[in-house]
Amino acid sequence: MKNSLIRPMSNEFFEYLRDESRTIGNAESISFPKSEADVIDILRDIYPKGIPITIQGGRTGLAAGAVPNGGHIMNLSRMNSITAMRCDEKGDFFIALQPGVALSQLRKQIESRKFDTSQWSEESKEAFLEFCKAPEHFFSPDPTETSATIGGMVSCNASGARSYYYGPTRKHITALRIVLCDGQTLAIRRGELFADGRILNLSTEQGASIKVELPTYKMPKTKNASGYYIEDNMDAIDLFIGSDGTLGIITEIEVKLLPLPQVIWGVSCFFERERDAIEFVVAVRKQLKCVAVIEFFDGDALTILRCQKAQNKAFSQLPAVEERMNAAIYIEIHCEDEKTAVETIMKIGSIMKESGGCEENTWVARNDSDRNQLLFFRHAIPESVNMLIDQRKKLDPIITKLGTDMSVPDKHLRYIMNMYHSTLQEMGLQSAIWGHIGDNHLHVNILPRSKEDYNLGKKLYEQWAIEVTKLGGAVSAEHGTGKLKANFLTVMYGQNHIDEMASLKAAFDPKTLLGAGNMFILRKEGECK
Amino acid sequence: MKIVVCIKQVPSSNEVRLDPVTNTILRDGRQSVTNPFDTYAIEQAVQIKEQHGGEVIALSMGIPATEKLLRDAESRGVDRAMLLSDRNFAGADTLATAYTLSLGIKQLGGFDLILCGKMAVDGDTAQIGPELAENLGIPHITDICEFISITPKDIVCKKITDKGYQVLRVKLPALLTVVKNINMPRLPSIPGVLFGLSAPLEIKNAVDINADSKLIGLSGSPTQVVKTYMPERQSKANSIEGDIASQAARISQLIKEFI
Repeated sequence: MKNSLIRPMSNEFFEYLRDESRTIGNAESISFPKSEADVIDILRDIYPKGIPITIQGGRTGLAAGAVPNGGHIMNLSRMNSITAMRCDEKGDFFIALQPGVALSQLRKQIESRKFDTSQWSEESKEAFLEFCKAPEHFFSPDPTETSATIGGMVSCNASGARSYYYGPTRKHITALRIVLCDGQTLAIRRGELFADGRILNLSTEQGASIKVELPTYKMPKTKNASGYYIEDNMDAIDLFIGSDGTLGIITEIEVKLLPLPQVIWGVSCFFERERDAIEFVVAVRKQLKCVAVIEFFDGDALTILRCQKAQNKAFSQLPAVEERMNAAIYIEIHCEDEKTAVETIMKIGSIMKESGGCEENTWVARNDSDRNQLLFFRHAIPESVNMLIDQRKKLDPIITKLGTDMSVPDKHLRYIMNMYHSTLQEMGLQSAIWGHIGDNHLHVNILPRSKEDYNLGKKLYEQWAIEVTKLGGAVSAEHGTGKLKANFLTVMYGQNHIDEMASLKAAFDPKTLLGAGNMFILRKEGECK
Repeated sequence: MKIVVCIKQVPSSNEVRLDPVTNTILRDGRQSVTNPFDTYAIEQAVQIKEQHGGEVIALSMGIPATEKLLRDAESRGVDRAMLLSDRNFAGADTLATAYTLSLGIKQLGGFDLILCGKMAVDGDTAQIGPELAENLGIPHITDICEFISITPKDIVCKKITDKGYQVLRVKLPALLTVVKNINMPRLPSIPGVLFGLSAPLEIKNAVDINADSKLIGLSGSPTQVVKTYMPERQSKANSIEGDIASQAARISQLIKEFI
C-alpha cells in the first residue's frame, strides 16, 4: 500500500474489528487520520478502488455501525482537537471540534474551562474569555458510555437519559463539515440551507452541485434514530445527523452549549408493583415541568443487580434495594432554585401516593456524591447484564444479548409494557427491562440461556418491531440503525421507502461503499437493499 | 442512648480552591460537602439509634453555610443539630477546634457516645476526635471498623491497626472515630429531606457557649501556618519512534534515568 496513512490489518488492530454491540467484523486495512486533509487523502486513494469504508469513533455503539464489513476501517479517534469557540449575540456559546473528541473529554474541558487555545483564532480566544466569565455551561446529550466520540454521537443521533428534556444530539449541533466520497467538502450551518419540499440542492466548497430527492416517508412522531431524518423543507444539516456514516465523513462539528441549571437533584422512586410505576410516570409527565430525566428499571433488572451486589466486590457499594421492590423510576430535576426543587419532590411524593406507591421508598440525591451513587446504580444494570451474557457466551458462543431500542407514542406506554412482559412470559425467556420511559423508549434485553432461547428471542424481537411500527413507533430511538437493525428498518418503512433511501445514498456514494452494511442490508456487492 | 456526631464541612474533592493571596483554602460554602469520613459516623449513629433507641445530635463548628450540611445530616436520620459559628472561631487549629466543640457538647446536656469520622480529608490530622475526648475527660478509641456489641454501659468494637485489628471494650460515655466503609451511608428519602429543612437546629456563638477568647480561633491555636503554596507541576510528553524493540529499549532507559 503506497499511502502511508493506510496500514494493513494485523493482530495489533484486532480491537478495531468490533464495538460495544459485541459484533465482530473483518477488514483488510485501517487508518487513523488526524486532519480533514488526511481523510481526503485516504478517500481519494481507496474509494476509486471500490473498497468499502467503515468509519469509527469510540466504538461504543450498540447497533454495530462501527463494525467493518470488509474493506477499510477509518478510525477518527485521533481527530480529537477542539478547534474554536464562538459566542453569538444572544450570549450562547458554541464549540467547534473534530469528530474524535470523546464526550468525557468535552465535558471535562467545559466543566474545568481549560482549553488549549494556542491554535485558536483571535475571535475564538475572545469568546473563550467571555466563556470563562459566564455562568457554568454544559453539553446536554448524555449517552451512558462517555468514551463515545462526538462524531459517533452525531452519526447515530445519540441521546441518553436527559434527552427527555433537552432532546437528542441533533438538537445541539449547529454546523458540520463533511468530506464526500470524491474528496469534495460540504460546510453546512444550521438555519442556512433548507430543502424545497423534498428536494435538496447542495453545493460543495469546490463548486459542484448535488441535487437530492429526499425519500417520501413520514417519520414517526416519537423519539427516533431510525434511517435518514427526512421531512418537508428540512434543514440540510439534519440529513447528515443520524446518517450512520453512509453519506460522507464528518470532519468538524459545532456544538451548542446550554447554561447549566443551578440545581440538579436526582430522585429514585421504588414501587412494589410495576403497574403503579407506570401510572406514576404517566402522571409525572403531565404534572411536572422541571423534570429532565425519567428512567425505568423493572423487577428483573433489580434482581440481577441484587445478585451482582452480593457476588461481585466491584458492585458491593451499590445502595441496597429492598426485596419487595419490583420497579424503580429515576427522576432528575433541573431547575434554577432549591425552592422549586423542594416543591417538585413534594409533588413527586404525592404523585407516588396517588399511584399506589409510598414516598418513603425514595432516595434523594442533592449533591455530586449522592448523585454519583444513583448513576453508579443506573450504569451497573447494563454492566451486570453484559457480565451475565459473557458468562453464558462461554457455554455457547452464539449467545448474545438481544437489546431493543424501540419507542412508541405516549398513549401506548401501558400497552407496550404489557406486550413486552406477556410475550416474554409466553416464550419463557429471561429478560431485564430498563431505559428512557419518559419517551416510552425502553431497552428490553432478552437474556438467552441457550441457542434455542437466542433464536426464539430473535423471532420475538422481529415480532415487536412489527407491533411497534403498527403503533406509530420507531425501531431505533437512539442507537441508530447500524447493521443490527437494518432489517427492522424495512419493517418500519417498507421496501419502497428503503429503495428511496438507497437512491438518496447513491447521490452521495454511487459505489455504495461508505458505512457498508449500515442502514441497508447488503444483498450482493455494490447493491444495497 | 444519646449520641453526638461531629461533622466538618470540607471542600468537594474536585473543587479545592485556594485564595490566590493567602494560599489558604477558600471555605465559602460553594461546592462544599460533609467530610466523607463523617458520613459514616452519621450513618453509624443513626443505625445505633434505630437498634437501641435514643437520639442523634449533629454538631459542627463552621461558617453559617455549614447549616446546610447539618440539615443534610438531619435528612438522613439525625434528630437535631447545633452549629457553632462565630468570626472569632476562624483560624482555629485542632486544639482550639476541639476546645470549642467540647463547649458545644457541654451545652447539649450530657451524652452517652460521641462519634467522629477518622479524620477530615482537608486537614488529614485525625486529631480532633482524641483531643475532644481529652477535653471532655472521656475514653476514646480511633479507627473503628466494626461495632460488635452495644449496651447502655459499654461498647465492644474492632479497631484497625497497622498489623491487623484489636477488639476493645470501652465504657460509656466514650468517643469513637470510625473508618470508611464501616457501613453504607443511606440516601435520604423525600420525607427525610423535608424533615431536614425544618428540623431543630441551634446556632451558637462564642458568648453563647462561654468560650475563653484566648482559647478559640487563631489566638487559641499554637499551630501557626508559616507558608502554604501550590506545588509546581511540570508535565511533558516525549514521542518515541522506531520499531518495537528500540522503543522498548528507550522506555527502559528512561525508567532507569528516573529511578
